[in-house]
This record gives sequence, C-alpha cells and structure tokens, in this order.
Amino acid sequence: MNSSPIKEPIVKRFLDLLSVIAMSISGVCMVILVLSFGWLVFGRYVLNDTPTWVEQMAMLLVTAITFLGASVGIHQRTHLSVEMLSLVLPEKSMRCVDIFIDLTLLVFGVAMAYFSHELASFAWSRNIPLLGIPDGIRYIPVVTAGILIFLFSSFRVFNGVVALFSPQEAVNKSASEGDR
Amino acid sequence: MGLAILLGIFALLTVVGVPVAFALGMAAISAFWYEGLPIMIGFQRIVAGMSTFSLLAIPFFIFAGELMLHGGIAARLIRLASASVGWMRGGLGQVNVFSSMLFGGISGSAVADVSALGSLLIPVMKEKGYDDDYAVNVTVSSSIAGIMIPPSHNMILYVVAAGGGISVASLFIAGIVPGILMCLLLGFVARWIAIRRNFPTEQFAGWRFIFVAFIASFPGLITAIIVVGGALSGIFTVTESGAIGALYAIVITAFVYRSLSLRDFWIAVIRSVKTTGMVMILVGCAGAFGYMLALYEVPKVLASALTSVSDNPIIIFLLMNLILLLLGMIMDMAALILICTPIFLPVAVGLGMDPIQFGVMLMMNLGLGLCTPPVGGCLFVGCAIGEVPIQRAVKSIWPFYLAILAALMLVTYIPAVSMTLPSWINS
Amino acid sequence: DWKGWNVHPAGYPVTVAMESFIKEAEKATDGRVSGRVYNGAILGSQEDAIQMMQVGGIDFAEFNLGPIGASVPEVNVVSLPFIFKDVEHMHRVMDGPVGDELSKAMEKKGIISLAWYDSGSRSFYDSRKPIKTPEDMKGMKFRVMNNELYVGMVEALGGNATPMAYSEVYQSLKTGVVDGAENNWPSYDSSNHFEVAKYYSLTQHLILPETLSVSAKAWAKLSPEDQKAVRKAAQDSAEFQRKLWAEKVTESREKLIKAGIQITEIEDKSAFQDAMAPVYAKAVKDNPTLAPLIEKIRNTK
Ligand code: NA
Ligand code: NA
Repeated sequence: MNSSPIKEPIVKRFLDLLSVIAMSISGVCMVILVLSFGWLVFGRYVLNDTPTWVEQMAMLLVTAITFLGASVGIHQRTHLSVEMLSLVLPEKSMRCVDIFIDLTLLVFGVAMAYFSHELASFAWSRNIPLLGIPDGIRYIPVVTAGILIFLFSSFRVFNGVVALFSPQEAVNKSASEGDR
Repeated sequence: MGLAILLGIFALLTVVGVPVAFALGMAAISAFWYEGLPIMIGFQRIVAGMSTFSLLAIPFFIFAGELMLHGGIAARLIRLASASVGWMRGGLGQVNVFSSMLFGGISGSAVADVSALGSLLIPVMKEKGYDDDYAVNVTVSSSIAGIMIPPSHNMILYVVAAGGGISVASLFIAGIVPGILMCLLLGFVARWIAIRRNFPTEQFAGWRFIFVAFIASFPGLITAIIVVGGALSGIFTVTESGAIGALYAIVITAFVYRSLSLRDFWIAVIRSVKTTGMVMILVGCAGAFGYMLALYEVPKVLASALTSVSDNPIIIFLLMNLILLLLGMIMDMAALILICTPIFLPVAVGLGMDPIQFGVMLMMNLGLGLCTPPVGGCLFVGCAIGEVPIQRAVKSIWPFYLAILAALMLVTYIPAVSMTLPSWINS
Repeated sequence: DWKGWNVHPAGYPVTVAMESFIKEAEKATDGRVSGRVYNGAILGSQEDAIQMMQVGGIDFAEFNLGPIGASVPEVNVVSLPFIFKDVEHMHRVMDGPVGDELSKAMEKKGIISLAWYDSGSRSFYDSRKPIKTPEDMKGMKFRVMNNELYVGMVEALGGNATPMAYSEVYQSLKTGVVDGAENNWPSYDSSNHFEVAKYYSLTQHLILPETLSVSAKAWAKLSPEDQKAVRKAAQDSAEFQRKLWAEKVTESREKLIKAGIQITEIEDKSAFQDAMAPVYAKAVKDNPTLAPLIEKIRNTK
C-alpha cells in the first residue's frame, strides 16, 4: 500500500488509455452504423436492391457501442445514481459506502465477463441469419466490457481502501479525483 | 421470496448509490440465481433488452443532437430565439424556454438539451445579472420540451415497451401541442419571477434581424422535419429517419455552415457514444429486471390492485400520475418507461384512454422526474453547468414544477390536447 | 413448476392447446409435471427463447420451425419454399420418418420435440396489385423473416427482399417503405396488415410446421413412464391445435373477405416452383445434409 505514490499514476494512465481505446472503437462503430443506414436507404430507393445485412449488423454495432460506452462511463463516473447518502453521512462512512459501490460494480463486471463468455461460446455454433458469422460474436463486446468494468472498479476499490487508511492529504487528493 | 430479493437488492443498491443501471442489473441477476435459472440467461436478457431493432433510433437521435450542438446549430437557434422573444421582460428566460422548444424538436433528449443550451445560455444569463438559480431552473424545467416535441427517443422506448401496435409517427405528432402548451406555461412562470426579481430586458432587435436569424437557423430546423416527416410520409422507417437526420446534420454543419471541424465531429461522436452507452445499458438492465417482474407476474397483480382501488377513471388516472411522479423522483426515465408501461398501459386503455394519450402523459410525468432530486439527470447537468448546489436550485424551482404539473393535468384529463393533431393527420 | 414460452396472445389456437397440454400432463403424471404458459413472448423473442430452452432457462415452448434452422441446420429443410404440396402432405411428412429424423437432430441440441403443431400456409400479400405470376412481383419490396432462404426466395421471384422486424411492418406497408409481406391467414388478420395491403395472393409458398418442445434438462428429470405420459398429452394437444387452427383459418378468411380484401387464386404454381431451382441448389450446397431430406419429403405420398 505504501508503494502507491509511484505506481498509481502509471496504473491510472494505463486505465485512461484503455478507456480512450474503448471509446474510440465504439466511436468508429457509431460512424459505421450511421453510414450503413445511409447505404440501406440508398440501396432500397436507388438500386432497388435492399442490402439485407444492415439490420443484423446494426444490432452487433449497437451492442459494441453500448457496452464499451457503458464501461467507460464506469471509469469516468458518468452513470446516473441516487446521491442521498452523501448528504446525510459523515465523510469517513461515506468513503466506506463508496468502496461498497465499487465492489458491487467489480462483482458485476466479473459476472458479466464470465457469463457472457459462456454465452459467446454457447452461441458460437449458430450463425446469425443473413450475415453468416457466428452469433457468439455478439457477446464479445460484452465480455470485453465486463473485463474493463472489473479493471476500472478494482482500481477505484484499491484507491478507496488506500485513502481510508492514509493520512489526510492523500484523502483529499483521491477525493478530488472522484469528481464527476 | 424471489420477488423480495429482486426488489430488495434493487432498493438497497440504489439507495446506497450504485448507478441505477447496475443496481437493476445486479438485482435481476441475483433473482436469476435465486430461481435456479442459468445466470447466462440473465446476461442474455440484458443484451436482448437493448438490441431491439426499433431502439436503434436512439443512438441516431443522440448523435444528431450532439452534431447540432458541436456544429453550431444550437447557437443559431438561440440567436433566433433571442431575436424573437428576447425583448420581453426577463427576456433571456423567455429565450431559454423558446430555445428549448426549437432545439428539443431536434435533439430528442432532455439531458442533451440541458447540456447543449445550458452551456450556452446559463453563463450569458449570469453575466447579464440574472440569478444563477433562476438560470438553472428555467434551463432544467424547459428541457422537458426535448421529450415532448418530436423527435424523442423516449417515445420510441415507450412504443417498444407497449409491445408494438402504436405508431411512432402518431405519438410524435401527439406530443407537439402538449409540448408547446407546457412551454407556454413555463414562459409565464419565467416572466412572473423575472418581474418579481426585476431582471433586465433585452432590446428589440428588429424584424430584419429576426428574419436573418430565421434564415440562418433554417437548415438546422429542417433536421426535425426530415426525421418526423420522413417517418410520417413513409419514405423512411423511424429508425432510418434517425440515421438520415444524423447524416443530414453532418452535411449541413460540415459543408453548409462550415462550422463542424473534424475535431468537433469526433467530439460529437465520442459524446454520443458515451450517452448511448449510458442510456442503452440502462435499457438492457431494465429489460432483465422487467423479465423477472413478468415472471413473478407483478404487472398483472399491480394492475388488478390498481383497478380494485376505484373504478372512477379520474381517481385512477390521478393515482397513476402520483405513483409515476414518486417513482420518477428515484429512478431514471428510460427504466421507468420499460417497467411501468406493461403495468399501467392496460389499465389506462381499459378505462378508455388512447395508448397515444397515455404515452404523452407518461412522457410529461417522467420528464418532470428528470428535474427532481434525488435522481434527476437534467437537474444534475443543469446544476453542474450553472455551478449551483442542487439544494439551492430546488428551493426556487417549485413554480416551474407547478407549471409542468398543470400541463400534465390538462394532458391527463383532456384527450383533445394530445389526440387532436394525430387524428387530424390520420384522416 | 415448468415455465412455458409462447409468442401468441391468450385465446389463440396455440395458446389454448398449450394450456390444455400442461393441464393434461399434470393429470397424467399425478402432478409431477406442472407448469404455466407465459403468453405474448413476455419471456423474450423466439430466437432468445430457443437459446434459453437449450440451457434450461425455460422448460417447454411452442416454436415455429423457421427460426430453429439457425440452431439445427437440418430443420431448414421445412423452410424451403414449396417443399410441401399442401398442409395434408406436411402432416404426413412430419408425422412420419422425416419428422422423427428432425426430432433427433433437435434433441442433439437440447430441444425435445414432442409433437408438431400447425401454422398453415403462408402466401404473399401487398398493397399494389394481385400476384398471378412471378413477373407481377418484379420490382416490388417484400418484407421477409430473417433467413437466407426467404431472402433468396423473393429475389428468385424477382422481388426486392427486405428483412424487417415484425413490429415495423404495419407502418412500413401503410407508408410504402415496403409493398408487401407474406404470412398465413390468422397473422394477416391479427396484425391488421390487411388494412394496408389488401391483395392476398394464394402462393402458399411456405408451410411451416411448429413444434411443442420440452427442454432436454427438464425431460431428463422425468421417469420413462412420465415421459410417455407427457408425450401422449403433447400429441393429443397437437391434434386439438390442428383442429382449432383450421377453424381459425376459416374464421379469419371469412372475416377478411367481408372486410374487402382481394384474394387471388393461383391455379398453376409451376412458374413459382420452377423459379426456386437456384434457392434449392444454394441451400443444398451450403448444407449437404438437406439433400436426402428433400428426397424423402418428395417421396412421401
Ligand atoms: Na425532441
Ligand atoms: Na428525479
């Protein structure tokens, strides 16, 4: 725990990098999604030959956008939550509550990665109609997001625990980091 | 017992402060586990809940809204609003409400409205001597226009939750009059407070200036017409309309306005991806949660409990609104639409309410929830932009709440408010 | 307590038959089997439900065989257009050795098919004109279900195949995003598509059987005697369902004729059938196990 002043920034920079990569991938997916719908309309009206792959592929893209985007939301703390306790609890107890929140997310991330992997391998033998690729591909972004959520929230748990047992200045630093 | 676990874990995690989406997901997964169902099915429900074809319009609307903001369309709309209504007493308050009406017609999202218009208008209002809490209150409450005036991604969620059979285009049209009505009431309140607090007045810019501002913002306003008109006329499906709207927004801002740089474009992409992730993961987790509720037959039981209270439609509708308002305080709109529609819609239809009118009522009611603590997306964003503590904003926002409540009662008890336009268009 | 998946609403022939099945099964096993049917697909879409059944998330269900083809390739044989001569031929095939062969293939994937239900024959309908020959379909946009075979079928007939979610079809027909779709009489009726597409042309290109199935996990927990009793209850319910279905078809057709739709009889379907040669060739090429099944179905008198 004492080594954190040197190690922490590297870990944090690594996680920041991961979240930028995740965001960029889902950004590219968003652009492809919009363009493919432009192609769909063009095909139907101009070519009179509707591309049949767009609908199924769009579902894959939106899954990727959602799960990668949502895991970045965990890192940046942008998800909606109720913040009643922080108004009534003293700071120290609130820090324990925060650790509990991050632990919950950690567990959810692990479960998401594990069971979506199970889903993916189960669905691998079945093809998505009209695309001809394994249905299991649908769950790859979900597995990835589970792993990311696990990494992001373990870092927060670690920081929270360190802050709980450290002198005051460290606490102030990590508290300001958790700002939205 | 399974139901107790489902609801108990959800309540505990939410109160503690776990993000609502994950509280729903965790509760659903726990219930799957308790029932001895394969847990992978729980995650399959989450993925399936968000990958419904009709929901694809949601990322498109969000993306189009971000492009409008970062491509300079929002700023042009504010100039138009400012030229048109800025001269009134407390003019910037009126500008704020009117901008929400114009921009809300394009973005389809109340939270996008607050962040777009709030970041442009709140600093200006503060600088001109308006109280900061007033600036936040007006921005937050008028953002519900984004839900009511088409397009609106929450309306699409409602249609999906209702299990199809409702025309998205008709619902879109039905929201227009209630949306404008609500904005008028908010405008009155904004003016009344402005007079009481003696806020400044802008100068009348002249008809010429209004005309120029209108021409400048016209290509932006067309986006809404493309999205709604495309779907109504049948050139596109609603989903395609959303995509074409986003493509059009790219073309207009990048090549006509020339105000969208590659950097702005990427910012818009990234922001829309993040918002999409937040909204859709909530939709997915609410789907898994709703699956367990359906398995425990909660909708059926609650619906019959509701009808056993009274058989007077006036009382039932009032009760429904009350329950929705309370739930709206603690939960997010998207999740509530998915969970409450199967419970309340059959009851409302049984009492003779049209599903479209119910949809409009639901949108306005839950929209109010976005402006209330402790869970209120619009309120959070507005307070963050205005740098006003939530408690202080809430202390002075109640007149705006009353205006929205008045509009809600009109929508609930006078079908003509919402139903006139769609029935006129359909005939 | 078994959980049953069903896409149809209360009162529909399938729903009534499923409810009678589970009641009879409970009686026949002295309550060792009991359950409840969840209607209207509230437990998820058919694709999801197939997956859930395979891992034991739901215990019994009534599936159309069309979407099962994605998980059990042999089953795709019933999705070949014009493979059955008529509904009676389909009954003879499914109640015979070919049906048994398909059941075995499904069993390997965790789905125990107990009996075959009916979903009648599907025909094209559209908003523009009656269809008498494949030429009439040229340039028209038809909504099809998500399956290569159905896309290939419409393209082979000269139409523009447009896969689309079922919930979007009504609005799309009304506004002309698509010109037509295809379905059986009761669905044409209950979806209200007849209001916006009044030309119903009796191509009867698809006769898709449905299955009343139990998940392999639930099945394995039953004693052989109980299995026998449950299978008997399923087969009785299939007989019941087929009767209810026939009544429903008549009822829907008469209702829609009164509502003013225009029916086109097609005396000679050979032009349609001949156009299917490339569809069959591609299906067999992609999936060689279909060839002997096609032969056996054709040889079933
Ligand atoms: Na809107
Ligand atoms: Na709220």
